[in-house]
Amino acid sequence: MTGPAVLVVDDEAGMRETLVAILEMHGYRVSSACTGEAALMALVARRFDVVVMDIKMPGCDGVTVLQEMDGPPPRVILMTAYAKEDRLRAAVDAHAFAVMHKPFETLRMLHLVADAAEEAK
Amino acid sequence: MRAPSFRVLSLVVLFGFAGAAVTASVVTRNVVRKQQELVLRERAAEVATVLGATFTGLEPSLESLGTIARLEPEHPQQFVDAAQALKTDGSYMVVTQRAAGWLVTATAGHDPGIGEVISGARQQLAQRALAGHGLVSGFVRDAGQLRLAIAIPGAAGPGTVVFEESAISPTTPAASTPSGPFRSLDIALYLTSRPDASTLIATTAKHLPLTGVTVNQPLKVGTETWLIVARSNTSLVGSLTSSLPWIILTLGLLAALMMTAIVETLSRRETYASALVAKRTASLETAMTELEESNAQLLRQERLAAMGRLASSVGHELRNPLAVLMNVLYLIEAGAPEGTNEVLHRHLATAKREVSAATLIISDLLDYATARGPIAAPVEISELVVESLSVAPPPDGIEVVLLDQSETPLVVDADRDQIRQVLLNLISNAYDAMPDGGVLTIATARLAEAAQISVSDTGVGMDRQTRDGLFAPFFSKKAKGIGLGLAVCKRIVESHHGTIAVESTPSAGTSFTLTLPHMVVMAGLPA
Repeated sequence: MTGPAVLVVDDEAGMRETLVAILEMHGYRVSSACTGEAALMALVARRFDVVVMDIKMPGCDGVTVLQEMDGPPPRVILMTAYAKEDRLRAAVDAHAFAVMHKPFETLRMLHLVADAAEEAK
Repeated sequence: MRAPSFRVLSLVVLFGFAGAAVTASVVTRNVVRKQQELVLRERAAEVATVLGATFTGLEPSLESLGTIARLEPEHPQQFVDAAQALKTDGSYMVVTQRAAGWLVTATAGHDPGIGEVISGARQQLAQRALAGHGLVSGFVRDAGQLRLAIAIPGAAGPGTVVFEESAISPTTPAASTPSGPFRSLDIALYLTSRPDASTLIATTAKHLPLTGVTVNQPLKVGTETWLIVARSNTSLVGSLTSSLPWIILTLGLLAALMMTAIVETLSRRETYASALVAKRTASLETAMTELEESNAQLLRQERLAAMGRLASSVGHELRNPLAVLMNVLYLIEAGAPEGTNEVLHRHLATAKREVSAATLIISDLLDYATARGPIAAPVEISELVVESLSVAPPPDGIEVVLLDQSETPLVVDADRDQIRQVLLNLISNAYDAMPDGGVLTIATARLAEAAQISVSDTGVGMDRQTRDGLFAPFFSKKAKGIGLGLAVCKRIVESHHGTIAVESTPSAGTSFTLTLPHMVVMAGLPA
């Protein structure tokens, strides 16, 4: 497995599992986390090129994870179904790579991940 | 109408009271007048009695003078002495009828001398006295002076007449003594029984004939009847009594005016109060109606807001499963062997299309529910129209006509995304209205302070009922959609202080017209 490392973070199992499957199908090395806290731990433990993360999660949300990440930051693509405007603004301020509104075209997601991985090299 | 009836009432009161006052006054006046007449008649009778007594005394005096003249024809001085003893202003004479005429046989203080023959009025009077066998009276004129002559026959023998004459001045008012019993009367004394000015003997009045309330009182003088005409010059029944009709009339009229004023004031007050009550009732009813309307409006808005909130939360909740569905469909498609199962691929395409449709519905719902204010920037209208048409190109059979009637580029201050959303909505509705093809016309024009954009189709059109409910949320006659598109359009246009209107004819087509002010004062944006 030599493809870019991607961390998928979503509290919704269906979303998380389908994203992992699609990304793996396209040759990415994919890990997943179901909470913001778990994502932060995973980011400390390993280096990722790209993070695909839901904004709204119980506890630590996606924007907070983005703000609290240390070290060489990976490119972060945030997903939202109904994020509030202030959280979106915070995401932009924290240099999110992109914000995707659910539901999105799978191909568009794949393009964004590819672009982010390219930038992370 | 109540006001005019009250005025009639006032008039009735006024005329009623005034009439009563006049009637009472007239009745009182008649009563007082009768009373006055009665008193006047009594006083005139008293005057007649007094005057009558004078003449009663005169007759024996003349008879005694006649006797002296008969007994002492040789001593005329005795006649003179006897006449002077009577102490009157009058002059006396005795005439005797002879063949040559009436000869003066005795005289005292008289112009015709003894032996002269009398003529004219004196002669007639002497004849009348002799013929009538009693006292007669008449006027005689002597040297231009009018004299009252009284004659009695036979006192100095057969064929003799004794005269008494005294000068009178009938037109000069005789002064009645201020303390005299008849000072309150104006009196005129006539020689005949009729008040003829030529027979006036004396009067106390300055002006004759006497007018007003007068009484005629006959006065018997010898064989003749004189006339006393009397009138009161002051009230004979007291000044208060005589003023009573006027007092009653004045008080009555005052009472009539007062009652009228009171009735009129009360009626006007009531009219005013009624009008006020009616006015207040009307304004209360208006206020109630407005309140009910605004309550209903509030209720509608609240219901819509609740629906909006519900739609928003349902929409948001649906976005996650739809996103998962998209992924799953992708995975199934990717996992299926290429070209091996055409049916499966067709079904997958249908599933994807339906997920997209669901996504669109949710977008509409969220657009309507979130309602963000416009973020204005200069927007070139024709450019935006072209852009919208490139996003939503016309299906086969539909021709697009662009009409730009402004000479310079038409620019408005607007939220580009929102106005594009409005245009896309109108364009896509127009396409839907022309399933068998037609012409879509988009015309832009510059108005005084706004830009105007009209989107017209030659499609199926709509009836009045459909047109009236067109901009209401959740109103849709289409097979697809939930009826929020035009509601969102209306809200967007109105948030730009613009207008949106529709004209439509069934089977002929529909035309939407937007106006957008060139400059928009933007409301504060939500944080």
